[in-house]
Amino acid sequence: MKRNVFHLLALLAGLLIYSSAIAQTRGIDGTVTDEKKQPISFASVIIKGTSKGTTTAQDGSFKLEVSPNAILIIRAVGYNLQEIPVNGEQHFNITLTENASDLNEVVVTALGVKKEKRNLTFSAQEVKSDEILRAKEPNVLNSLTGKVAGVQITSSSGMPGSSARIVIRGITSISGENQALFVMDGVPINNDESGGTYNGGSGTNRLADIDPSTIESINVLKGAAATALYGSAGARGVVLVTTKKGAAGRKPVVTLSSGLSFERTIFPDRQYLYAQGDKGVFYDGETMKSSTSWGPRMDTLTVNGQKIKAHNPLEEFFRTGVTSNSTVSVSGGGATSNYFMSYSYFDQKGTIPVTSYKRHSLFTKYNTQIIDKLNATFQLTYSTANNKKVPEGYGLESPLWTIFTAPVSYDLKPALNPDGSQRLYRYSRNNPYWVLDNVLNTTVVNRFLPVFTFVYTPFEWLSVTERAGADIYTDQQTYHVNTNDITYATGLTYYNNKNFRQFNHDFIVQARQQFNNTNVSLLLGNNVYSEHGDFMTALGLGLAKPGYYNMASASSITYTGTEYLRRKTGFYAQAEVDYNRMLVLSLTGRYDGSSVLSSENRYYPYGSVAGGFIFSELFKDKLKDVINFGKVRASFASVGNDNVKTYATTTPYYQAVIYGDVSSNLTFPYNGQNGFLISSSLGNPNLKNELQKEYELGLEMKMFKNRIGLEASYFNRRMTQGIVENISLANSTGYASTTINSAKMSTKGVEVLLNLTPVTTKDFNWDVTINYTKLKQKVEEISPDLDQTSIGSIYAKKGEPWGLIFGTKYARTADGQLRINEAGLPYASGEFDVVGNITPDWIGGITNQFRYKQFNLSFFFDTKRGGDILNSDDGYGLYYGSSKQTEKREDRVVSGVSDATNAPNKQVVTGQAYFQQISGITEAFIQNASYIKLRNVSLSYTFRKGAGGRTPFKDASIVLTGRNLWIHKDKTFTGGDPEVNSWGAGNGGLGVYTFSAPTARSFDCTLKFTF
Amino acid sequence: MKRPFITIALLAAITLSACSKYLDVNQNPNVPSDVSESLLLAPLEAGVSQYIAAGNAATLVNQWMQNCVPNQPMPNTANYMVTSSNFDDFWNSFYVVVLNNVTILDKQATANGNLKYAGIAKVLKAYTLGTATDLWGDIPNATAFSGTGNTTPSYDKQEDIYKSIQSLLDEAITQLQSDAGSTPGTDDYYYAGDMNKWTKMAYTLKARYYMHLTKAPGYDAKTQANLALTALSNGMSSNDDDCSFAYNGSSTSSNAWYLHFYNTSTLVLSSHYVDSLVKYADPRLPSLVSRAENTGKYNGNVIGSGAGALQDFSIAGNFYGAIGSKVYILNAAEALFLKAEANYITSGYSAAQPIFRQAVAGNILKLGVDTNSAAAQTFLSKRGTLTANNALQLIIEEKATANFLSVENYTDWRRTGYPALKMIPNNTVTSLPRRFLYPLNEISANPQDLQKAKLTDKVWWDS
Repeated sequence: MKRNVFHLLALLAGLLIYSSAIAQTRGIDGTVTDEKKQPISFASVIIKGTSKGTTTAQDGSFKLEVSPNAILIIRAVGYNLQEIPVNGEQHFNITLTENASDLNEVVVTALGVKKEKRNLTFSAQEVKSDEILRAKEPNVLNSLTGKVAGVQITSSSGMPGSSARIVIRGITSISGENQALFVMDGVPINNDESGGTYNGGSGTNRLADIDPSTIESINVLKGAAATALYGSAGARGVVLVTTKKGAAGRKPVVTLSSGLSFERTIFPDRQYLYAQGDKGVFYDGETMKSSTSWGPRMDTLTVNGQKIKAHNPLEEFFRTGVTSNSTVSVSGGGATSNYFMSYSYFDQKGTIPVTSYKRHSLFTKYNTQIIDKLNATFQLTYSTANNKKVPEGYGLESPLWTIFTAPVSYDLKPALNPDGSQRLYRYSRNNPYWVLDNVLNTTVVNRFLPVFTFVYTPFEWLSVTERAGADIYTDQQTYHVNTNDITYATGLTYYNNKNFRQFNHDFIVQARQQFNNTNVSLLLGNNVYSEHGDFMTALGLGLAKPGYYNMASASSITYTGTEYLRRKTGFYAQAEVDYNRMLVLSLTGRYDGSSVLSSENRYYPYGSVAGGFIFSELFKDKLKDVINFGKVRASFASVGNDNVKTYATTTPYYQAVIYGDVSSNLTFPYNGQNGFLISSSLGNPNLKNELQKEYELGLEMKMFKNRIGLEASYFNRRMTQGIVENISLANSTGYASTTINSAKMSTKGVEVLLNLTPVTTKDFNWDVTINYTKLKQKVEEISPDLDQTSIGSIYAKKGEPWGLIFGTKYARTADGQLRINEAGLPYASGEFDVVGNITPDWIGGITNQFRYKQFNLSFFFDTKRGGDILNSDDGYGLYYGSSKQTEKREDRVVSGVSDATNAPNKQVVTGQAYFQQISGITEAFIQNASYIKLRNVSLSYTFRKGAGGRTPFKDASIVLTGRNLWIHKDKTFTGGDPEVNSWGAGNGGLGVYTFSAPTARSFDCTLKFTF
Repeated sequence: MKRPFITIALLAAITLSACSKYLDVNQNPNVPSDVSESLLLAPLEAGVSQYIAAGNAATLVNQWMQNCVPNQPMPNTANYMVTSSNFDDFWNSFYVVVLNNVTILDKQATANGNLKYAGIAKVLKAYTLGTATDLWGDIPNATAFSGTGNTTPSYDKQEDIYKSIQSLLDEAITQLQSDAGSTPGTDDYYYAGDMNKWTKMAYTLKARYYMHLTKAPGYDAKTQANLALTALSNGMSSNDDDCSFAYNGSSTSSNAWYLHFYNTSTLVLSSHYVDSLVKYADPRLPSLVSRAENTGKYNGNVIGSGAGALQDFSIAGNFYGAIGSKVYILNAAEALFLKAEANYITSGYSAAQPIFRQAVAGNILKLGVDTNSAAAQTFLSKRGTLTANNALQLIIEEKATANFLSVENYTDWRRTGYPALKMIPNNTVTSLPRRFLYPLNEISANPQDLQKAKLTDKVWWDS
């Protein structure tokens, strides 16, 4: 079938060429260059009125047979069109001028295929290198926050190396992976979260290993039509990363950049007015211990006639974080090859003492024309990172739990009593300073990303691409807790090693032909993908001696090891027709096979159809002055998805653990006898793929010569056959859960991207970029028998958007008033039900950029409106009397209806009794996580080229950046920064704010030189 | 035109089949897909001890029997403050951990011809089903354990469950005595493969479940008593026949009750229990009750008074509550007490007397007290002698002491009214609970009308 199509095309071309060659022709030749005398390769030289033509070679040269009175049309991407009459000439040196407008801008799309932006039939948004670098974020993912319409990124916490979560167009699966697929230079790369602290806190998402300064551009492909070529993983949206490359025929260009930044913690709110104690009585924390701060006011408190020192536990604990980031890169090339090499070192000392994130990244890319028609690229990314963290959250090993709620009347230092035991104002907790010296989580990651690409172009219209890439990393985590710890009195040491290997191979054949004013391209390809991970954990309890964390010397060691393997294959095709640069039609189809589905349902097909109409091509000049570019596009796509964990089709046996109370379990082998019990999670032997169907409508317009640019998309997506893991089964079936295929979800949304240039003069430019996203999501069905299910601590319920938070609510009367018990206090109703939803109403961002001569000032706001968060800091803080709300602790009458009298409540209660009562009701600490952040302010000065005589460098610039300078949070939220996911970026831990490392305000100064 | 097509079709076929093999990698290498019977039996026996005999269900039952109470502010579970979700964890242990696996063991052992394993599985299944139905009434059995084959199993009537229990035990008795297949050894923590003891246990269980129906609608006490006596003739006879699960007494092998009393549920003994032992000068008192750490006295928490200092109260003594104590799955003493009660029903208290005396003495001996000592003899003459007025009361009360901490005591109380209990003041119920609530898990995933049953509703045999 393949060969026949090619034969047909060749035949057609031949006929046309033959027919036009009837007239007498002569050979001409020439070169096409740009204004800088650089050759332009792959420029098309066409004889006007015919389809006969050629494309320029790598050095810009071309040869053609023309009739003497022919007119040549020279066209190249990014340059203005030129028409040159032959007039009997034989040699031509053609210079093309750059096209200031980016109408012909080229973007990289699925599978590394470059397309003109105007021909895209789906929604995609590009973020360029300078914007990525301006964000000054160590984790590339965070540099996209708030910039791309349709994309929501949430950072987990302020701990160095902490993860971030990216979701494009909302969630796609109820329990499966929802984060976007990352593809670097055509090869998918892993973005799993690994290295989460054993006793609480997020891990690092592996995109953090990528050095942002190696990135040329990031293109976010949002909808199913954009990603249908990527297969199932693409159903979640694709973030395409294109790395920098060298340039042919240039002398080496060396770039040096070095930056230093300082971070100051943004503290959560709390009360600083009242001392430790209970019911107004002062406790000194030494002779009388308690966890609570219900003591007297600090300003009037005297002990033995003396005032006592007021402490600020937060100020005293956190330090100024310091980060340095240095990069050196070289790029250059000869006639037939070019290279780019870059090394950078990133060193962050966190605001919590002892914590740090250090990363070395090395990137090399070498491209060469091996023989005339064969081009090869070899690239390798090597990255190694060392991350030190302490536990976060409400675990006994988390120092933050104690620091945030410690009484202001107590000095937390020294951490030890004279006898060596821990010293603290309360029982059952570790002293946070003791934790800094005795508890640490270290992860060391080594990552390799090699990619080989060969492009063979036997004819101009045919190219064959062979690309093989791998993603290989090891994540070695060691965690230790010293002896004398509250939970692990004899100490603990923990190793967790992850080995990850992913191989991806693509074989693609592309053919392009031009007929008159129609461009036709056809793409056929095959993909083979294999992913293998293995985890080994060892837990050693009982250290041989204090401070000695060697695993082999521990008293009792338990080991677990698991591995998984998943593989995919796919055959795909894409056909595109572009008529007269006005109408574009695109068809894709893919046939996938995945190892994680049941064997009868292993293969599944899907595809898309999309079209675009550039209506501005029909406009006359007058209208074109107003609307110089206008396009409407529509697409319909279906994508099959295998978004389920490996081995979900079988029900194996697990080594038994028979639980006792708290920590004493009977672990098999027990008493020398091994034992297994069947998995309580039932496998689904009929597992088949999920199916997403999406249609999308889009409008793109550029007006007043690009002074106004608008891109708006509306999409409507329906998911059926949804795979949901851990669906509860009635236990009488013998099993607690299973995986089902029956879920349905719908998502609708609007994305808007607006670019404005209100002012543009020779010396001064003002650009504004605004993006806005609004999504409406609903879980239509889970299973015929089940209306709700939980994914970790998040719930999905029929008829509601995904992302519900469940908890206890106030008991209320029929008309919504609080019920008051005989103690005069409100209480929880018995039910456990919806108390909030993490889904925001809308998100957006606005960037303002001012350029005046050599100065450039930009500031970037982003906002999230709506979305709830469970503020567990307050949940505890209300009980302890450390929460800001407890500042108002006077006696009160809680308004509501008394159960005893059925009349309005008149009973007086103390503030302490009230707050301690509601601290147990989830509804009392569900808060609104909306925010407006001034995320980035950047002022840069670029030294004039060649100014001031001979300077050793070509380019130099200095950039001052402020990050997180201002946060406006909802008045209900008492934490420091509402952008948080304390349990990490996975599905199950979202929407919880619990004693996480706070985010910081930072000030950065970076110098950059180019030689 | 044909050849290219054939070549391509052939290539496609080869590629696709190679693809199939390439993708056929979804067998979990980390865990086995099937295991031998002996690997299933060991954790099942540990599970029956930790979850059925001495699990969280048993701690709740003992609170309602007013033997123990959590040292926490009221209201709490001790004065009946429970909702459906409290029972999810119990139900999960019964159905997902024990019953499903024991059904698998039974099927697999029968198919493999290992009839002794099949017999043991049936005994354990009968024991667990019996405990479950006595707490929940109508429960799923016939249509249960089919996974997604039946996601909404129907609830069998309690009467049918009892019939299943008896037939399971009958089949078990035959299979336990067969020669076919392998014999358990170290994987049998209870009896180390002694099939005679298993058989005696099966007969004793038959008797127990016959006696449960003395008041059931359509059943007659005398008939049940006679059936029981027939079964008991082959039942357990001495303390050596006790079915128990031993613990090593280390941090990784601690007695379940030691953990319930010592750890976060902060259970302590109640004054109701401690005081009755003190009142009767029970010589077993020092083994049954520990002295309070702070005062050195035998002191139980008065249920309804809330929390006090933990160290002011007694917890279970070193016989049942030490870190290395055994958990008793079935006491041989129960066989004797069942025999005494059955004889009382068929022939009157004087026929019951010698058996009753033997039962009490046997338990005194088991708890390490010399039956010839003065204290024991005084106690036996007071509490070991039946009269026309107090025969049933004494039998059941002493049975409760011999069966200390067993869930069986709750069944005996519902059946006979002994030992007498007074309701603790509460906001939840107007009379003492007669059953567990159905768990939230079943109500959500397998809704049935009968799940509306309240705490105070009676199960079928409790009339």
